[in-house]
Amino acid sequence: MSIEDIFQSILQLKRGEIADLVQAEIDAKTDVGVILEQGLINAMGEVGNQFTEGKLFVPEMLRAAETMKIGLEVLRPLLVEADIKPRGTVVIGTVAGDLHDIGKNLVGMMLEGAGFTVVDLGVDVAAKAFLDAAGEHQAELVAMSALLTTTMPVMADCIGRFKEANMNSRILIGGAPVNQDFAIKISADGYSSDAPGAVELAKKLVPAQ
Amino acid sequence: MRVQCQILSEDEKQRIHTESLKILEQIGVKFLSQRALKIMKDNGAKVDDDTGIAKISAEMVEQALKTAPKSFVLGGRDPARNVELPRPTAGYVLDLGGVFTRDFKTGERRYATLQDNNDAMRVFDEMALSSVVWPHSMAEGDTPNSNAIRLVLNSFMYSSLHVQDEFSEPEEVPYIYEAMAAILGSEDAVKQRKLYSVTYCTLAPLVHEGGMCDAYLDMIEFEAPILIYPMPCTGSTGPCSLFSNIAMGNAEALSSLVLFQMAHPGTPLIFGDASGSTDFASGGFLEGSPEMVLMTAALGEMARFYGLPNTQQGCQTDSKEPGPQAVMEKLVTTLPLVLSGADLVQGPGCLETSGCLCLEQIVIDEEIGGLCKRIRDGIDFSAAKNLYDDVAQIGPSGHFLMQDSTLEACRSDEFYAPKLFDRHTFERWSELGRPDTYSKARERVEEILATPQKNPLPDDVIGKLEEIMRKADEELN
Repeated sequence: MSIEDIFQSILQLKRGEIADLVQAEIDAKTDVGVILEQGLINAMGEVGNQFTEGKLFVPEMLRAAETMKIGLEVLRPLLVEADIKPRGTVVIGTVAGDLHDIGKNLVGMMLEGAGFTVVDLGVDVAAKAFLDAAGEHQAELVAMSALLTTTMPVMADCIGRFKEANMNSRILIGGAPVNQDFAIKISADGYSSDAPGAVELAKKLVPAQ
Repeated sequence: MRVQCQILSEDEKQRIHTESLKILEQIGVKFLSQRALKIMKDNGAKVDDDTGIAKISAEMVEQALKTAPKSFVLGGRDPARNVELPRPTAGYVLDLGGVFTRDFKTGERRYATLQDNNDAMRVFDEMALSSVVWPHSMAEGDTPNSNAIRLVLNSFMYSSLHVQDEFSEPEEVPYIYEAMAAILGSEDAVKQRKLYSVTYCTLAPLVHEGGMCDAYLDMIEFEAPILIYPMPCTGSTGPCSLFSNIAMGNAEALSSLVLFQMAHPGTPLIFGDASGSTDFASGGFLEGSPEMVLMTAALGEMARFYGLPNTQQGCQTDSKEPGPQAVMEKLVTTLPLVLSGADLVQGPGCLETSGCLCLEQIVIDEEIGGLCKRIRDGIDFSAAKNLYDDVAQIGPSGHFLMQDSTLEACRSDEFYAPKLFDRHTFERWSELGRPDTYSKARERVEEILATPQKNPLPDDVIGKLEEIMRKADEELN
């Protein structure tokens, strides 16, 4: 048993094995921070790289993220005990009027894999709900998506409200009708056309401590 | 005989139907509209008020199939461009569902404007196989809440074809009907001529949206045709097999059929499909894939199984640029639909998975449609085409170029004359500046836009439409 086995179980999508592997490392008194960083988060980093290179497909990436999460759940009580905090918190949702959530779900799962705590508000989320959740969870990031052209202005409205409320959360946007120019125009802090890009942006905006 | 391609066997159609009924009866469909849910409940569906899920029986589907019209006419603004459904050969629907345009002068991709919509209408109007137009989507502007109305009314001004659109708010309905009454001269004529129809997309898997559903239930009183257009994406918003994705899409379509027939028996419905496949490398929705067209062609066959007119997604590409990928994908996603007998193919004009208008592509797609029609028309075995006497007359050696039959046939439909392909010798092609297909398409677009619009609306009607748009801008923004 080793950290490498944990790392490999994620890359090989072995969700049935990871809990035992993590537990074995805990039993062997391996530092929980090391298990988290070198076993779980590094594996998801590699998954992200392979996905970006086109070597991994989305269903494989999602299974890897699910495997990682199973391992993380075993570790979580010890992380709390050791006061090891997540990289950051992201509040995520599709904006009011938009029910199309497949891209949002993808981004959410990949952010979790990268060590963020993700608060998923679901679909059709009003600006106030984004604001309240960001405040409640002290979210470093808010990620909003829109698929419909009619819901694009809602993003600008949300950002306006965050500024009015002097919230510090940085805001990422995504979705088929959105682009970098639009992001700049509505003063979003970042835009990505795909999920790995969104994770890279999130990492840039919330550096590891 | 006409060339026929069959995607589903009779047994496979029955299996899809049975699976769809099982989905409707045992899993059910979620309605976010309370009005829709009440209609389903009043007509015998088992409704769970907490979840909004209605379980629909086979009897309800049978009843809806009885009242849905089997044929009707989509009125063109110019009656000569009326579209009778079903059709013997595929017609085409201009796809301006995306929000981007490839700028005709610079080639840059940018957000679309009203002028782009109007230019596309004018170019598509000149294409022989064009039947229906979808107005462009516009992301921005000073009047976001009345954009859709501006786009529809401008489409009436710049196109002589039937206009089909999707809208999400009941507030938009009266303006569009007032405009049609202005064009046609009376409110009665609006119901009769049916210049306008709407596209109803369910939200896969198995959900009916709220606002859009309410808007269409308002509009149904005007007897406007509705294109039922599920878009399940196999592997993401739909199950990851073509068989089950087709069955689920068909279940969504049948649930829409039940809703609109129960709300207003006799509502003209087009039983369409815009399924997609997943790009597993990115999670994206693919429209240019062979799997996409296998599914939409299969659901076209299901429409005929039910005896309903259909529109199928096709002539599509996921290419970001005009060029070989666009042409290959569009050809491969058009031919099966044409050969299997789709009434209308929705797709011409767009690149980038319906995301980006390209004016030259409208002309290229017209050529693809022409080529596919030629294959569909097949080989004429009529007595007039048996030229045994010519063979006997010429005999061994010699040629047939001087025969009357050759003179007569050389400009007939039996020999397709492409408008864009180059068939010169290498030398002549070089002398002409080595034109390619897209450069010829550009010339055609330039020519159309440089000439005055054919068949414009009278000035007084345009004045009325502009007044309606101003009113909508004021009242909705």
